[in-house]
Parts: sequence; C-alpha cells; structure tokens
Amino acid sequence: MKLGLVVDLDTCVGCHGCATACKQWNTSGTIGPLSDENPYGRDPNGAWLNRIRTYEVDDSPNSKTVNMPLSCMHCEDAACVTVCPTGASYKREEDGIVLVDQDKCMGCNLCSWACPYGARELDPDQGTMKKCTLCVDRIYDEKLPEQERKPACVLTCPTKSRLFGDFDDPDSEVSVAVRERSGKALMPELGYNPTNKYLPPRNKAVVQTYEVDKSVIGTLKSWANRVIAR
Amino acid sequence: MNTLKTGMPLTDVYDPSEGLQSRQQSGSQPLPQFEDHDGQQTKYTTCYMCACRCGIKVTVENNQVRFIQGNPDHPVNKGVLCAKGNAGIMKQNSPAKLSKPLRRKPGSERGAGEFEEISWDEALDVLEKRLSHIRATDPKKLAYFTGRDQMQALTGMWASQFGTINWAAHGGFCSVNMAAAGLYTMGHAFWEFGDPDWDNTKYFMMWGVAEDHASNPIKLGIKKLKERGAKFVAVNPVRTGYQAVADEWIAIRPGTDGLLALSMIHVLLKHQLVDDEFLIRYTNAPQLVVNTPGQKGDGLFYRRASEDEDAVQVWDLQNETFGDANVADITPALFGEFKAPDGTPLRTVMSILVEKYQDDQYAPENVAEEVGVSAADIERLALEIAHVAFKETITLDVEWTDWAGRKQTQFVGRPVSMHAMRGISAHSNGFQTCRAIHLLQILLGTIDCPGGHLAKPPFPKHIPPGIKPAKEMAPNTPLKSPPLGFPTCPEDLVIDADGKPLRIDKAYSWDAPIANHGLMHMVIKNAVMGDPYKIDTLMLFMANMAWNSSMNTAETMEMLRAKEDNGDYKIPFIVCSDAFHSETVNFADLVLPDTTYLERFDTISMLDRPISEPHAACDSVRIPVIDHNQTSGRDVRSWQEVMIEMAGRLNFPAFTKQDGSRKYKGYKDFIINFEKEPGIGFLAGYRGSNGEKSLRGEPNPRQWEAYEENHGFFEHHLEPSQRYYRHANRDYLELAKEAGWVGSTNQIVIELYSETLQRFRLAGQGLYEGPMPSEPQHKERLSTYFDPLPFHYVPLEEQRINTAEYPFHAVNQRPMFMYHSWDSQNAWLRQIMSQNFLFMSRVAAEQQGIKDESWVWVESHNGRIRVQVKLMEGCNNSTVWTWNAIGKQAGAWGLKKDANESQQGFLMNHLISESLPQKGDNLDGITNSDPVTGQAAWYDVRVKITPAADGDTGSWPNFEAIKPLPGAEPSPEMISYSSHKNVNLLRSLKDILTRGEK
Amino acid sequence: MHPAFSVLIFTVASGAGYGLLALLIMGHLMGMTQLQDNTVVLTAGSLSLALITGGLLTSTLHLANPKNAWRAFSRFKTSWLSREAVFAILVYPFALTYLLSSWASEELNLLTQLAGILTLILSMMTLFCTSMIYASLKTIRQWNTSLTPLNYLVLGLMSGSLLLVTVQGLVQGSAAQSLQSLALLLVVLGASVKLIYLFWIGKPAGSTINTATGFTQAKVRLLDAGHTADTFLTNEFGYEAGADKLLRLRAAMLVLAFVVPFILMTLTSTVMMLIAALLALAGLLVERWLFFAEARHVVRLFHGDQAT
Ligand SMILES: Nc1nc2c(c(=O)[nH]1)N[C@H]1C(S)=C(S)[C@@H](COP(=O)(O)OP(=O)(O)OC[C@H]3O[C@@H](n4cnc5c(=O)[nH]c(N)nc54)[C@H](O)[C@@H]3O)O[C@H]1N2
Ligand SMILES: Nc1nc2c(c(=O)[nH]1)N[C@H]1C(S)=C(S)[C@@H](COP(=O)(O)OP(=O)(O)OC[C@H]3O[C@@H](n4cnc5c(=O)[nH]c(N)nc54)[C@H](O)[C@@H]3O)O[C@H]1N2
Ligand code: SF4
Ligand code: SF4
Ligand code: SF4
Ligand code: SF4
Ligand code: SF4
Ligand SMILES: [Mo]
Repeated sequence: MKLGLVVDLDTCVGCHGCATACKQWNTSGTIGPLSDENPYGRDPNGAWLNRIRTYEVDDSPNSKTVNMPLSCMHCEDAACVTVCPTGASYKREEDGIVLVDQDKCMGCNLCSWACPYGARELDPDQGTMKKCTLCVDRIYDEKLPEQERKPACVLTCPTKSRLFGDFDDPDSEVSVAVRERSGKALMPELGYNPTNKYLPPRNKAVVQTYEVDKSVIGTLKSWANRVIAR
Repeated sequence: MNTLKTGMPLTDVYDPSEGLQSRQQSGSQPLPQFEDHDGQQTKYTTCYMCACRCGIKVTVENNQVRFIQGNPDHPVNKGVLCAKGNAGIMKQNSPAKLSKPLRRKPGSERGAGEFEEISWDEALDVLEKRLSHIRATDPKKLAYFTGRDQMQALTGMWASQFGTINWAAHGGFCSVNMAAAGLYTMGHAFWEFGDPDWDNTKYFMMWGVAEDHASNPIKLGIKKLKERGAKFVAVNPVRTGYQAVADEWIAIRPGTDGLLALSMIHVLLKHQLVDDEFLIRYTNAPQLVVNTPGQKGDGLFYRRASEDEDAVQVWDLQNETFGDANVADITPALFGEFKAPDGTPLRTVMSILVEKYQDDQYAPENVAEEVGVSAADIERLALEIAHVAFKETITLDVEWTDWAGRKQTQFVGRPVSMHAMRGISAHSNGFQTCRAIHLLQILLGTIDCPGGHLAKPPFPKHIPPGIKPAKEMAPNTPLKSPPLGFPTCPEDLVIDADGKPLRIDKAYSWDAPIANHGLMHMVIKNAVMGDPYKIDTLMLFMANMAWNSSMNTAETMEMLRAKEDNGDYKIPFIVCSDAFHSETVNFADLVLPDTTYLERFDTISMLDRPISEPHAACDSVRIPVIDHNQTSGRDVRSWQEVMIEMAGRLNFPAFTKQDGSRKYKGYKDFIINFEKEPGIGFLAGYRGSNGEKSLRGEPNPRQWEAYEENHGFFEHHLEPSQRYYRHANRDYLELAKEAGWVGSTNQIVIELYSETLQRFRLAGQGLYEGPMPSEPQHKERLSTYFDPLPFHYVPLEEQRINTAEYPFHAVNQRPMFMYHSWDSQNAWLRQIMSQNFLFMSRVAAEQQGIKDESWVWVESHNGRIRVQVKLMEGCNNSTVWTWNAIGKQAGAWGLKKDANESQQGFLMNHLISESLPQKGDNLDGITNSDPVTGQAAWYDVRVKITPAADGDTGSWPNFEAIKPLPGAEPSPEMISYSSHKNVNLLRSLKDILTRGEK
Repeated sequence: MHPAFSVLIFTVASGAGYGLLALLIMGHLMGMTQLQDNTVVLTAGSLSLALITGGLLTSTLHLANPKNAWRAFSRFKTSWLSREAVFAILVYPFALTYLLSSWASEELNLLTQLAGILTLILSMMTLFCTSMIYASLKTIRQWNTSLTPLNYLVLGLMSGSLLLVTVQGLVQGSAAQSLQSLALLLVVLGASVKLIYLFWIGKPAGSTINTATGFTQAKVRLLDAGHTADTFLTNEFGYEAGADKLLRLRAAMLVLAFVVPFILMTLTSTVMMLIAALLALAGLLVERWLFFAEARHVVRLFHGDQAT
C-alpha cells in the first residue's frame, strides 16, 4: 500500500479549513499536543502539520491566483527518515506513512532540514518534531464509522479538493485522479518521490456566444408582440 | 511561565503499550487502540462561528472538546467545515470569555475599563428597574440593537412586546440592499434568501462576493460547477479566494456593477434576447403604466376603475381589449402604447424598459472605461449568458400545477445563475445595482427555475412581504406590528405629522424610506446628537459598535464617552450582552456575559431566516455540548434566557398568563409552547403532541428531544413538483400558506417595474396624493434615486469629493478563516493572520513610487491611517483593499498589549464616515448610506496614498490599551491543548536498529 | 539557514579538536622529533579532548528534547548524525588509551601506536560524518557538495595544525619549523578550499519557485504565506542577512581565519602563533556562521524566494 493525498489546485479556494481541521484533530491525536507559543501575544507561533500558501502565477493581466496547501508528501525516498539519528522518524513499510515516534525524538531538527516541503515543525513546548501522520489514528480506527476513516483534512475540505487513498491501487480515487488530471509532484528534481500529488488547474470552461447579426441594431419598434397566454 | 495545559487528565487514559495488542495490521506493525471512545460522547449542535450555521458533530471528553467535525447529514454543510468551525476548540478556550456580570465602577469614567463583578440577581434587578421605568413612561427611550445576531425573531418580538420601535439588527449596515432589492423585485433575494441551483446551472456569475453567509454551501457548489465544466465568472476588483478558481475574472472598478449589468441588458435587448414567455407569465413586464409625465399618477399602474390593488390592466392581444393582469389565460401584449378610455396614455412596462436600456449611454463602448471592462468583453458576456439560457436550456419532466390550477408537464430551466453580495450592497447605489442584476436574471427567465437562482423557504414571499413597520407606541403596550417591515408608499413611513423621523436611526423617514433593516450605523450618532431625540438606554447584543461595526470608529468612541453640560452621559446607560471581552464591552455600564455557542440552547427559526435549502425547508437548534457551570469561576447566562426572564419580569403580555403569573419557565419552555399563530412556533419540526407533524401543529413537549435525536435539525423536503417556479406553483404556495410563510396562494408576480418606488418618486416630485417631503434634499433623493426601473448612478461619496485628489477605491474582504472581530481571540486562527496589509496592484503602486511592504498613509475625506502595503497582481488598478476587522484595540480580546493586531493591524473603519462628505450644502451630515434603503455605504470610500516617512512604522491611530477585566487571569504564554494524553505509535528498538531505509 | 550558536561552537571546536588530535598522532607516530615529548603530547592531546568534549556538550544545547539524546546512536545504518555520534564516542576510549599509554612510557609502544592509529582514523571519520550531515542534504544546494566534507576536513586540520604548533612552541619554547610549514600550508589550502566554495555557491543552480510550485511556465510570486508571524520554518530556514553584511563578514572571515594567521605564522614568536590560532578559531566561527547564513534551504521557495 502507498497511502497519500491528492490536492486539487483547480478548486482549492485557500480557506484553511484543512489546516485547522488537521490542527484540532492532531492536537489530541497520536502526536499531540501541537503547542502554540505566545498564542495571545506578539507573533503567535505554533506547530501545524498543514499550511496553505497562495501564489500569483505570471504578471497581470495574465496572472492567476493559486492556493496551495502543503503537508507531508509521504515521500518514497524520504531523506527525513534516513537522516534521523534516533530512529524516531520512520516510514511504515505496510502503507508508506512517515511518522515520528514522539517518545524517541530528541528535537535535533535534522529531519526538518532534510525535508524539502516544509512538512516538519518542531513543537515549541514539547521539543519534539511534529508532522502529518496521514491521520493514521483515524484511517485505521475501526471504532470510527467507515466513512469517517479518512484524514481530518480530507473530511473537512469544503471544496472537496483533497483526496485520500492508495496510490498502489490503480483503480483508487487518487490514482484515477492523478492519471486523468495529470497530477504532479512538487520539486521532482530532488528525487524524494513524493507520494502526494497536485492536480493542476483545469483549462478554462469555454462557452459559446449566442449567434447574432451584430450589424442589426434593434429598436423598440422592431420588437413584435407574440400571443402568449399567461 | 503561564502555560495552559487544558484537558490533560491527571492520569493517562491509557498506557499506549497496553493498546498495542489490540489489533494486528495485515501482517505488519500492530496499531494501538487510538482513542478511548468509551470515555467520549458525541453530540450534535449548530456552529456559531459565523452565520452560515453549519451542523456540527462534537466529540467531548471530560467536558473538553476533543473534535468538532461537520455533521454529514446536515443540509447546509453536508459534513464539511470551514477553518473557523474547525477552530471552535480555541474559541471555547478563549481567555477573553466573560465570566461574571459586570458593572462600571461607580464614579469611574465610561470607557476607562473600571468594572466590578456583580451577581446575576443584582444585574437583572438593575436592568429590570431601568427598563420598567422606560416602558412605563416612554418606551422609545430604549434603543435595542443587535449585531450579527441569529435570533432576530426573538429579539424583534421582545422589542415589540416592550413597545419600542427602536429595534433593529445588523442588516442596515450589512446587506439590506440585497434583501430589499430582492424582496421588492422577486420575493426572494441573494444573501440568505436564495442560492444558485448548483446541481444544474451551466453558467454562474458571482458579483462582489468574498465569502458570504453561505460559506460552505458556496464552496460545495463551486466544486460541483467545476466538476461539471460549468463556467464560473467572477466580477470583483480583487482576485483571491473564489475569484482565484473562477474561469474568468472581471476586474471591475468598484461601484460600477450596475452599469455593467445594464450594459449587458442593453446587448440582450439590442438582439431581442429575452424570455418573453417568462416575462408574460410571471412578471409585470406586460402591465400598463400611466404615461403622464409631470402629472399626478404618472408612472403608476393603470387599474380598472375599482382602484383595486389587483386590478392592474394589460392589453389583451386576443380580445383586443384591456384586461386584468392577474387572470389566467389572458394574452397580454408585452409591448405597446395604448390609450385608456379616458384618454390617459399608457405603455407597457416592457416598452418603457426597452426604451430606457436601448439608450446609447448603456452601449458597451460607452461604459467600458467607467466600468474598467472592455466593450468586447461586456458584449461577449451578454451573448454567452444568452447562449446558455436559450440554447442550452434544460427541462425536467416533472408534472406540476401552476397558480391557476393548470397542469404543466415540465420545468423549463435557463441554466444561468448569479450570486451577489457586499461588493454590490455596500455601495450607496447598491439597491439599484442589485435590482439591475435581478433584471438581468429575470429577462433571461432564470428565476427559480432549474439551473437558475432558487429561493429558499420560507421565501419567496409576496412582493413586498405584507408587514408594515410599527409607528405607534404607548407606555406599557406592545407594538401593533413588528418594528421592521416593508413600506409600499409614503403613508407607511415612520414619521410624525411634520415629517420628522420617529425612529432613533431615522429608518423609514425621508432620509431612508425603505430601510427594511433599520440603520444601526446611525444609532450612536443620532442618540448623542439628540437628533431626532435623546434616549435613555442603549442595549447592544452581539454588536461590536465601538470598533469594527461602526463607521468612523475613533469618533464613535468619543461619542460613547460624550457628556452633557451637567456631567451626565449623552447616552445615559449602555447595556452590552457579549460572550467575550470586546472593545464595546469596555464602554458598557452593564455587561451581561453570554454563554458560548457550545454552551446554550438556541433556535435558528423558520420565523427568521432559517437554514433552508432550495428544496427543503429546514431549521435547527443548538444544544449545549459543554457544561459551563463546570468551568470554574464562570457564571454566565445565555441571552435567550435573559430575554425570557426580562419578558417575564416586565410582564410582557405574550409572556404572562391571565392571572399575571409567568407563562414560560424559561427559554426551552418558551420555544416549545409559544405559538405565533395556531400551530406555528419558533421551530417547525416535530410539532403535534407526538412530534408527528411538520411545519404546523400543536406544541410538542418533547420537541427539543426530537431535534436532538435528529442531530440538531429538521428538514422538510419539497415534493419534486414543488421545487421550481414557486412564485407561481400552486402546490408550493399552498404548502407555504399552510406553513405560515405566505399570506395567500396568489401568484407572486415578479416586479421588474416597482410601483412602490414610483410612489416615492412622485412624492419627491410633489405629485403624490399623500405625505410628501418638504426639504429640498429629500425631494431630490426621492425624485432621483427612486427610479422604478434599475439605473446606475455614481456612488454618493464619489459625487461629493474630488476624485482626482482621492484616486483609489478602498474596499474590504472577509477572510475565510476569521469572523469579523470574534476570531482574533482564537489562538489558532490568529496564527493565520494577526496583521492585515493594504493590498494594491503592483502596477499602480509602482506608478506612485510605493514599495512592497512599505508603510504608507491612507487618507480619506474623513481621516487617515498608517498601514503596511503589499503589492499584488490580481487587483484592479484603482482599488486598494484589506481583510476586514483584523485590527484590534490593544488589551481587548484577551490579547497582550503588544499583539500584532493592535500594533500593525488596522481597521479601514477610521476612513469611513457615517455622514456624507461636507460640501456646504444640505446633504452635509446626512447619512452615508444608500438613499433608498439606508444601507451603510462602506465601500464607497475613496482614498489617496502617500509613502510614510522612513522609520514611521506601525499602524496608526493607536488607542490606549483596554484594562483587563476584574479577576481575569493573564492570557497564557504557551498552549498545549489536548483532550487526552497522546497515544503514540511506538517504533520498536529492533526495528530502529535493523531496518535500513533505502 | 539560521546559524545556531551552539552548532557553530560545536563544529569549530570539535573540528579543531579532531584536527589537532589527528595531526598530533600523525606526527607523534611518524617519529617527528619535537612530538616525542610527553608534555607536548599530553598537553595537545588534552586540549583536543577538551575541545571535542566541549564541542559535543555544546551541541546538545541545540537539542530541543535532550533527554532522548542517547538514542542518537541507534540509526548508524542510515544517519550521518548517528554515525557522527557513534564515532565521536568511539574516539574516546582509544584517545584515552593513546594518551595514557603515551604518558606511561616515553617510548612509542605497540599500544600507543595501535590506539593512536585508531584514534586518528576515528577522528577523521567523525569529522567526515559531521560534514556529511550537511553535505548529504539535497535540500540545501550550498551544502550538498563534496566541497563540504573537504572544507570540514581541511579547516579542521588547519585549525588543528595552528593549535599544534602553538602548543608545541609554548611547551618547548620555540616552534618546530616543520609544524610551522605544515600550518602555513594548511592555511593556504584552507583559504583555497574556501575560495573555491564561495565561488561555487555564487553560481545560480538548483530548484526554483517554479519547480517548487509546479508552475514552470511563468513568474511565480508569493501572495500569502498562510501565517503573518514567523514560524518554525521561517525561523529555521528563512534566515536572511543583508548582502553587504554578508560581504563584510566574508572579508572578515578571510582576514581572520587565513590572512592574519598566515602572516603571524611566518613570524617565529610563539605568542604570535597563539594569537594566530585564536584568531583563526574566531575566523572559523565566522566561516561557520556564513556556512549557515549563506545556505538557502529549498523551503524558502515556498515562502517566496525565487531561487536557491
Ligand atoms: N469568514 C467569514 N465569513 C463571513 C463573515 C466574516 O466576517 N468572515 N461575515 C459575514 C457577514 S456579516 C457578511 S455581510 C457576509 C459578507 O460576505 P461578502 O459579500 O463575501 O463580503 P465581503 O467580504 O465584504 O466581500 C465583498 C467582495 O466584494 C468585492 N467588491 C468590493 N467592491 C466591489 C464592487 O463594487 N463590485 C464588485 N463586483 N465587487 C466588489 C470585494 O473585493 C470582496 O471580494 O459574509 C459573512 N460571512
Ligand atoms: N470597514 C468595514 N466595517 C464593517 C464591514 C466591512 O465590510 N468593512 N462589515 C459590516 C458588516 S456586513 C457587519 S454584519 C458588521 C458586523 O458587526 P458586528 O456584528 O458588530 O461584529 P462582530 O465582530 O461580529 O461582533 C459582534 C459581537 O458579538 C460578540 N459575540 C460573539 N459571540 C457571541 C455570543 O455567543 N453571544 C453574545 N452575546 N455575543 C457574542 C462578539 O464578541 C462581538 O463583540 O460589521 C460591519 N463593519
Ligand atoms: S515531505 Fe518531508 S517529512 Fe514528508 S516524507 Fe517527504 S521529506 Fe519526509
Ligand atoms: S528532530 Fe527528532 S525526528 Fe527529527 S531527526 Fe531529530 S530525532 Fe529524528
Ligand atoms: S492527513 Fe491528517 S495529519 Fe496529514 S495534513 Fe491531513 S489532517 Fe493533517
Ligand atoms: S480545505 Fe480544501 S479548499 Fe480549503 S484550503 Fe484546504 S484544500 Fe483548499
Ligand atoms: S461556515 Fe464555518 S464558521 Fe460558519 S457556521 Fe459553517 S463551519 Fe461554522
Ligand atoms: Mo454582515
């Protein structure tokens, strides 16, 4: 199994719903709490596992705005794991989820240095490394209703721009979406083989115009009454 | 260090190693039992982080919130949740929560923040004494105003029972333009009254929307559109959020949407692209209008001699005679000029309309520059929607019965839909602009049809709804009708014999005749000026009037402190109900601490604007999920309970039995047993003694339990035959009448042409048989702006300032993750944004020599602010904008004095004046509002921008920090919230040592 | 990259320590006359162990959760940091044996030789592992190069050589010509390696905001980072020093670490040598600071940087 997420850049409106859903689920989840430093003061700064950034592509007037959520890509070649000296970071063999064992992390930051995607954040209170767990504690929790065994961010996304599934299964929702919409990995040149993929914005919908004879200019007089019963 | 470690139980819920054996994962590492679900409860209630009112499923552990998720069955959000909804934990844990009733310390100055805690008994006694005196002497001396309130049905009824006409909610400064334009045109509206048909529409145009109340529904809808390949066009000076995913972005110049819509109409009319069948059957387009300019009666409908309201005449083509417009099977002429038997010249509405909009002033090439959209684009947009409406028509083969009882075999849909909000409504031409957009929809026949714009029950209503605003007051006597209503003629205005306003906010006066929601933004100023009179008590519920919801904030704060010569405050007593330590709390004389949304019973009632979906009438409740009494040291009461308690204490007739004793034990009891008319109460679901009846039925003693069992909401699905053309759909209208939504089953005839407006216009022209204004500015207002057909005019502020001096429009957008002022206290949400910037187009900034991230002065006719700039691509060149309500006063909201919100964040409100710019004429000092509805014209403000001197950084103005409330603990410096100890997934030592990562 | 002071101290001190130890042992075992002196060996050896130990201890200050530091030995299989830790600890028994055995007998015996050789190898391995922690990161173009280990090894040896000749000179009254020449040589080599490195990182290359976001056809600009205050990521990776500050520090670094020590080294005064060694260490602190400050992590691309 190769579990991961697909994010649809065509429909993400940058609402931060997924980021906060992630924060609230995981603050009491396997890796919680996700602490917040100076929460009511200057420059509040806490640990998040998912953040939304917005970019403008191209110069105006041709430019386009793109919202881009970023969380752990559960890379196949995850250097964050290999660099970890304590063995706290690891990639699960059975499903490819990259996790941090909170009991073992020494807070050296090295894994965050090795991660190109900014997916790892040090907890300011606990001193351990936090990252997306792919909500391992939801997707495998059989006590949850079947349809809720999905990552918190996927469940909450109001534009349904986030898909979750098994990339090893060619018929899974994620595999199909990536195939049909040319899903892409970010920074492929670094060779991390990220599992998560991004669906690029679709081509613009095109609508025909009503065919009219533009040389004719209607006047009030040119309208004719039709007999239509109320 | 002061650290909040909420909810961490003293003993671990489980030992993770114990859980390890619990299950084996397909031959791999064992997973622990993650959560002890047995120690958790799941409860359903309704979110309150904004007015979208999504259903939520809350997991609670040790009276702490574990997780808030969307209720998957809920009609509004179908399981999804926005950022605010997801951050409810941190709302519940806000250090700014009020905990005890507070009284301004005797002898201390108002606004100095010196409070003392008092008991509820004492607080309620103080209030009762004050209110009973007012009620027994001069009830209008109580002004009761509520902000983004979701219980207007109750607060409005309370005010009526009290007997004061001085009640309104936020609508007047929010979006009454949308409500009024819709309700006076088609019986429903944008805003919370209708939705695009997301499932069927093929072309969606969104005008001036950043987020709106249908927060999650719009997002769910946009996804549907995009999956189907429907076209989404966004008209907005700024491209963020929804506009970012639109197929086409129209970077309009603010305040000119009316012109764009009318120009599109011009193109449609030029090519005769209208749905004449729709117009004849469902609108007043064929009705005959008297054409006697300069004479009494001009522009009014031509009626049969009976003068019966319903006897409007049309020209029947088949019989070649005049006939009643409202009869079935008549064949009215859509066009034509006629002469009445007495010789009065008549024309059809459609003839007037075509003549008006075919004028060259609306030709795309003549509006392009003003609107900032090319003529070719305007023409193309018009022809695209025409194509979709007429060439991509959809039909649903469903039998239905029209208003006249005729069977129809299908619903024909013109799948073009639109939605518009504050980008339209927050301008002083918003009412007419919104009417122009509705006109565009109506000409294409896209109203309440498949793929078009759908009404949400209890809408549509007859045009306008048949409630007139109350005028008469007497001591200890309830009003005869609600304080707010829908005038149809000058006789309905709430003015005295001299034409002076009777309401404190001057709603329904010559200043704002169709002010359906009041003018909350004028209350403080008018009360302080004693114009039209002084009041005694200002009672505010859920309104941050001293900060982000007032125009001209700094001056408003001064006004709240203003004193008479004798040392009394000009507003003698201010009562504030809030759940949190807002800027306004600081100015109260009496603070009544409310519960949070997770702690109270509440209804989102059918008598208000419920949570209905187009094809289902729905309402919902809030049921406490957290027991606030268990939270130490807090003694708070829901405003709902306080209202019922006060109603009882003051012996309001509707709350008192014949024997003088109280009718209702409390809020829950009131909701169950109160009946507005037989069988109709606050909640429409599970009525009847056994809960077996819907919409109408006798009270059900177990109604709350029934809602609870149904996860907090009630949904009555409309039959397929009742889902469209509801303005003319007999089955629907009969249901609506039975449910009390409409007063009759008569067809709701869509009003392209508004005779109501014409009556006011005649009054302005001195041609009305009834009350008429005497002052020139009122005459001018009525004769200019009360055009019975939509038109475009330059927004009022722009008319009164030198636009060359103030070259930029300054507007706001709602951030999707913040609700007005409420969310800066949210430790998670404020990490997303604790400072706002002034955004402007890179090109425009470079022309002015303004650098990215530099500090600048922004100046309007009303004041100036210092802010930090960010440059962007997706912004109209003459527009600057910022996120709304991020700036905070230091010390409020549980924030530290140096919090970014107060040091770098800012409010646009300082620039905006509640009065029109001074010009030395009789409009000086007149409300800065839409001249028809009194809607606050927030987005009319024009500004100039100059770089700040080097080293001049930080936002300006700054205000003295608000003092902490008595007993308030300093806000924590670290939060490590968790509802239980984490259940870590352990990696074994063996695995660590042996596994080689590739 | 944010230059964490503890890491700067650690790498400079342990680099000098291992360099000193390695050169000491090399000279000692190869029979260099001046280094057959027990006092020199023990002084230099103790100094190196002090530097190494001090460095290692300082490095733990950088850990946010030091109670798990002991676990750092467990991922020898894949982690350069783990390997560094293992080697760093392994050095101790051999180094101590080597020093004890040298102390016990003036003569070079087998034990001294064996322990010495192993210490030498392990020292170099440790230094190499340290350098590979940085060099192996594909996320930081300025580090992900074989120049990084070269740099670490050469600069470690260079600072070690300066210390060695200083200790030897101070203990014995006058500095050995050969050690002095070695130091001069290593200073020249160090300067050359550093100059090559500075030249190399000056060339634009690597990932860009376009590859980071996947929009490769046009200019991409950050509109909103999703947070208005700094976060762990911006603090850690967003470190930004002004271009002229960097230039000034580069000059200071070259002067302090190489030019002045080179000049002072050419003099015969041992006091001057001591000053040279101390200045070089200070210069190397600046060098290490620059090594971090000039390293541009690819995460910066998501925060708006156009290129790394
Ligand atoms: N997250 C969140 N949701 C909210 C709220 C909140 O505070 N936060 N507030 C709620 C409330 S009270 C309200 S009233 C609604 C308002 O919801 P919206 O109507 O979405 O209100 P604004 O955010 O003011 O958005 C106005 C939009 O119009 C654009 N605009 C400004 N002037 C013009 C113009 O002249 N023409 C056009 N075409 N566009 C223009 C602005 O750029 C902006 O995008 O949102 C509600 N929902
Ligand atoms: N510049 C500018 N100003 C604007 C706007 C704009 O676009 N630009 N928009 C305007 C619009 S559309 C609106 S609707 C207004 C909104 O104006 P308001 O409704 O005044 O604004 P809110 O910030 O929502 O604040 C309402 C108050 O309700 C309190 N509150 C929250 N929850 C509860 C509760 O459960 N019980 C009680 N009793 N109180 C509670 C909050 O603490 C807060 O003090 O702002 C207006 N102001
Ligand atoms: S995204 Fe970063 S943290 Fe996640 S697996 Fe890849 S390298 Fe590791
Ligand atoms: S911070 Fe923790 S998880 Fe990351 S490398 Fe260091 S020990 Fe491993
Ligand atoms: S999968 Fe779970 S942990 Fe990962 S980003 Fe989504 S919510 Fe957060
Ligand atoms: S919840 Fe969905 S739409 Fe919102 S930011 Fe996340 S991915 Fe985008
Ligand atoms: S849109 Fe968000 S804040 Fe508003 S009610 Fe729904 S979940 Fe709550
Ligand atoms: Mo609003």
